[in-house]
Amino acid sequence: MSTAAPKPLAGIRVADLTMMWAGPYAAKLMADYGADVIKIEGPRAWDNIRTLFPPDELTDQWFNSGAYFHEYSRNKRGLSLDLSQPRGRELFGRLVAKCDVLIQNYRADVMDKLGLTESWLRELRPDLVIVGMAGFGKTGPEAASLGYGPIIEQMSGLVSLSGYGDGIPFKTGISYGDPIAGIAAAGAAVTGLIRRERTGRGVTVDLGQREVATTLMGEAFALWSMNQRLQDHVGNRHEWMAPHNAYPCLGEDHWVAIAVGSDAQWRGLVEAMGRPGWALDEAYADQASRWEHRDTLDERVSAWTSGRSKQEVFAACRAAGVPCGPVWKLTELVADEHLNARGFYEPISDPDHASWMVHGWVWRWTDSGPCILAPAPNFGQHTREILTGLLDVDPAELPALAEAEIIAGAPIDPPAVSVV
Amino acid sequence: MPAETTPASDPALDRPMAGVRVVDLSQGISGPYATKWLAALGADVVKVEPPIGDLSRAAGPWPGDVPDPETSGLYLYLNTGKRGLTCNLDTSDGRAIAAALCARADIVVESFPGGYLDERGLGYDRLREDNPAVVMVSVTPFGQSGPYADLPASEITLFALSGQMGVTGDPNRPPLKTGGSQPSYQAGLHAFTATQTAYLGALRQGRGTHLDISAQETFASMLEYYASYSSQGGEEYRGRLGNMISAIWGIYPCIDGYAGMCVLPRNYDRMAAATGIPELSEPPFNDADRRRELDDTLQAILYGWFAGKTRKEVHAVAMEFGFPAGYVATVPDLVESEQLAHRGFLQHDDHPLAGPLDFPAHLWVAPEHGWERGRAPTLGQHNREILVDELGYDLDDLARLRELDAI
Repeated sequence: MSTAAPKPLAGIRVADLTMMWAGPYAAKLMADYGADVIKIEGPRAWDNIRTLFPPDELTDQWFNSGAYFHEYSRNKRGLSLDLSQPRGRELFGRLVAKCDVLIQNYRADVMDKLGLTESWLRELRPDLVIVGMAGFGKTGPEAASLGYGPIIEQMSGLVSLSGYGDGIPFKTGISYGDPIAGIAAAGAAVTGLIRRERTGRGVTVDLGQREVATTLMGEAFALWSMNQRLQDHVGNRHEWMAPHNAYPCLGEDHWVAIAVGSDAQWRGLVEAMGRPGWALDEAYADQASRWEHRDTLDERVSAWTSGRSKQEVFAACRAAGVPCGPVWKLTELVADEHLNARGFYEPISDPDHASWMVHGWVWRWTDSGPCILAPAPNFGQHTREILTGLLDVDPAELPALAEAEIIAGAPIDPPAVSVV
Repeated sequence: MPAETTPASDPALDRPMAGVRVVDLSQGISGPYATKWLAALGADVVKVEPPIGDLSRAAGPWPGDVPDPETSGLYLYLNTGKRGLTCNLDTSDGRAIAAALCARADIVVESFPGGYLDERGLGYDRLREDNPAVVMVSVTPFGQSGPYADLPASEITLFALSGQMGVTGDPNRPPLKTGGSQPSYQAGLHAFTATQTAYLGALRQGRGTHLDISAQETFASMLEYYASYSSQGGEEYRGRLGNMISAIWGIYPCIDGYAGMCVLPRNYDRMAAATGIPELSEPPFNDADRRRELDDTLQAILYGWFAGKTRKEVHAVAMEFGFPAGYVATVPDLVESEQLAHRGFLQHDDHPLAGPLDFPAHLWVAPEHGWERGRAPTLGQHNREILVDELGYDLDDLARLRELDAI
């Protein structure tokens, strides 16, 4: 078959009230896979991610130019609408009636305070799939907690598992809780749609971002349940593999990860290292013994790696069938041979903005074809087309809506640009 | 179509995946994590294991640290609610059983090296001949094609090759692999959502598909914008920042562990008020630009504030004043959490072999459909039920298959 298969979410429309990280990540996944995602922002209540990491060179359109914003809102359409004004809310209601999914990541109480209650939404669209994703969920004694990704990661238990072994816990280098919650929220929306296909009924999802992250550590729960113990911090070591670590290489802050999980892989590493005499020592003859002597083993493997580039070590290990990976810096990652051979990165550009590379399909499927990417919408870019085309608003009414600041072509009174 | 469909009267159908047949040929963490949730959403997941059992049975932890394939905590967590079948795909009888299962499946999940199933007559092209709507999901370290496709992988090497390790850890120490098995779990979470997305597409469009999920790509897609930013100028944007992005975005020691805040400019005033330290609400600290220049001074002040509080006091004051802060929760904190108990998040099971277990049991709360809370199968627990009752083998066949090491 030569024609590309339709995207799996073709024909699904999403009203996207999400902002910042977790929610936009969920909506991004849905947009990438074919949903018509309409990103709704109020003229005075707009997505702060636009200014959190603004472009290096500020332009008049800085609120449209942030790389972060583009990463999270590509392939979406942009609608400006003030939901705190009655006419704005009424127009929003008409939009909801034409949507399959409504997704929001406000704090637990915000939707109700805006008057956008579940019962109101259900009246407008009985089979709507509603996804809320407050940090700690919508109910319970901690529902009011504010949770950005780093807080979610801490409260989920994940941070407690990581560290070099000196007792200090470590977070990841990203706002880990956000993409994790975003993937699950997209899964929740799609699961709701599956159920709707099969039963005709909608569903209201109350996703607590922290809970999703906590599902990623089942064995730590088992260890506590069974033996009332916490997992030790093992740094880059492993419970039974050795060598297993990040080893220094030539250059500043260059490292390579090596993990030997079998005798065959050990023999491969010995070959890769040029069969040094020490490696034939009885102490390294089997897995248990290698693990026992992991300290000296790490020293000796480090001595080998530290005189070589990480690419050189990787090539030698690759040839010998040893699990190995250079610790890519981000500039190196985007040049990774395999990712590029698979077409993972795709160019994205906009006449108004720079051109750069972003990741394309995260999941490929048969006949998926290239990932066609549209840049994130300028603020309110599709307001006219959505209001007049989808909601049958008389074009003559648009100036009055703009006058009343129900819609806008740019954020009104944005705060000073802030960089974290 | 949806609006016209007659609502079902059978409450069991309320489970989104009720009656959906899933064959899970995957092992380890990623695939089983994805199918765990399909089972909890009502799907009939048949877990196909080689006669020696899934790799996760050898991973532990075990009660009293005594290894036993039936009480490995990792296995018991990842395989709740599934039916268990043993099947040796290196025997012709085993392949015939797998083919019969796949022929009636809506979804097949697998994690073999690329080409493995094709060689055994179980690849996607073969399956879709009989079953055009089947969704096949392959989740592997590097995907089905490309120069690394056959590269041996381990969690730490994947973490390194995806860019996540390079930004994690202390700037003055080596890059750090996170604890637990995050790389595998991340791929599993992606595999879950990808499976659901593809299955919805198959339901609506009447044609199945084969998803090719590369763990390296799933991790590399989760670097926020740092990777794409680096592609713009060729300049490294961000190295390792450890626990302290800035004074108001970091993790600090407190009386009984560690707690942290993640304060954006719009949260600052409330945070400053909550600390009860007057100078934080005054110049220069109440000015975002000047604050940044004095980050070390601000850190020192906040070290002092955290040092006088317990973890839960930090979270309580953050809730009271409305700014983002929390603490480094440990498993017992989570097991005892009133919030999680209120949400019905944990599943308690007095397991006959492994003893009492408390496991996370949902991804989200949805009163309309709920989540099933089953138990993981013992090795081959449902062999007879599946082979005899459903696939038409007789009892003599079972003995023969066992003898041939096919099951």
